[in-house]
Amino acid sequence: MIALIRYSFAVVLHTQRYLAPLLLFTGLMGVLTVNGNGPLPPAYASSAGALFVASTWLTVALISLDSPAQRAIVVVSTGRSAKVLAGSIGTVLISCLALLVFGLFFPLWMGSYQVGPTDLLLGTVAQLTCALTGIAIGLPCSRLVFRRRGHALVAALALVMAALFTQGAPPVNRLLRLMATSPDSADLLAPATGMLAAALVLLAASAWITQYLTTRRE
Amino acid sequence: MLRLEAVSKRYGRGEWIVRDVHAEIPGGEITTFAGGNGSGKSTLLRILVGVSRPTSGVVSGRPRLIGYVPDRFVPNGRMSAAAYLTHMGRIRGLTTRAAETRAHHLLDRLSLVGGKEARLHTLSKGNAQKVALAQALLVEPELLVLDEPWSGLGASAHGILAEIMSEVARSGGSVVFTDHREAVTRVLPSRAYTVGNGGVVLRSPQAQDEHRPVTEIVLVHPDGAHPDGAHPGGAWLDGIGGVRSVEACGAHLVVRVDRDRADSLLLTALQKGWSVVAVTREDRSRDDRSHDATDAVAARSAR
Repeated sequence: MIALIRYSFAVVLHTQRYLAPLLLFTGLMGVLTVNGNGPLPPAYASSAGALFVASTWLTVALISLDSPAQRAIVVVSTGRSAKVLAGSIGTVLISCLALLVFGLFFPLWMGSYQVGPTDLLLGTVAQLTCALTGIAIGLPCSRLVFRRRGHALVAALALVMAALFTQGAPPVNRLLRLMATSPDSADLLAPATGMLAAALVLLAASAWITQYLTTRRE
Repeated sequence: MLRLEAVSKRYGRGEWIVRDVHAEIPGGEITTFAGGNGSGKSTLLRILVGVSRPTSGVVSGRPRLIGYVPDRFVPNGRMSAAAYLTHMGRIRGLTTRAAETRAHHLLDRLSLVGGKEARLHTLSKGNAQKVALAQALLVEPELLVLDEPWSGLGASAHGILAEIMSEVARSGGSVVFTDHREAVTRVLPSRAYTVGNGGVVLRSPQAQDEHRPVTEIVLVHPDGAHPDGAHPGGAWLDGIGGVRSVEACGAHLVVRVDRDRADSLLLTALQKGWSVVAVTREDRSRDDRSHDATDAVAARSAR
């Protein structure tokens, strides 16, 4: 697994496909959180929203990197295609953790917020929830399932929009709305953890469906 | 033994690409699937290695260590050939050090043009294919599957490819390859299937040999060293495909080889210090004429 993740990172770094999602993330962070003040949850809602879009993009980019022939080689070398998919998920997850740290401290550095340990915990849980949901959307919207890149992109865009803007839809929309309206991190921690669990379930389901569709398509 | 039983494949509700295929791929043998473009050979190989799942039917006895060389290897990225192979070796469970050593050894053996540090996307098609071949050999495979290896790889690497195939087979592994030209297979496979109209038929060994022109080459070693009986030609002959028979007649060595392999055999023979006495075309349909008063025949009857 470590070898697979190392390989994925090497390919992503060499092809520089990480650049666009990274720029999007830092751009959104800059626009949404610079010079903010007051309670932290609304700021972390922005970090989480930015990470949601970035993680979807990163997933689509990373999984679509290998050509079908190259993917076949990796699958044969690994022995199981499910393990290759798990390796890709691991790679995106690690990248998202790096972004998460940035999203956690960038607002503190740029703005003047009242910060406490619960705020940081909430920020972590919220961003993790959004990252997992983003990966869950990105997995099926990739070359593995869609033959044409355009279709995959439209599908990803539609799902991201739906998750962000459908009123009260868990996990992303509901979590972000709660955080935007409530200033107290301690109150938000319980629902946020619930949303994290929902995101985990979503990711597992998405990975299973993607794997199923991939083996059917191959 | 790797076995395909009633294997069929189609995508969605599309046409059957292969249908009701029965085939056996024994260890220690070289098996070929020959057939025209679009006959379903590549799909069959993808099913063999387990990348693609058959719509119906069973693949049994697939070994664990598989080397797969797809027909078109389009390496992406700016990774160097050596770095790429090291990554692949690690994925196969080698340590970084072992993977590096093996990668360098294989690239040396395949003589990659442009150097081991050449970035993958700068490689020509033939050289990219060498990297694809090397990745399949990082761990000695129990099953080596090559999709159209002869057309992708430059002619200069054909000898080494034949050598590698027979090595894998000799150590008990199964070798499977495809070729779209039915008549031209550069290593003599022990088993040949013809793919066409979605089905697969086993060809008899005689049928494979039909219509393939043969060249007879008579060699002599200048040291006067007599070819020994058990292994008359020495090990170098094993590396060249298409050798039909080798006979020692006194100091002469008579090698019958497929016409399309004659050049590389001659080249290797000269490099190994042999001297050429005669080269004759052996035309099977016109046996009588080609045996007329040629030097080789004269030399043989004189003996």
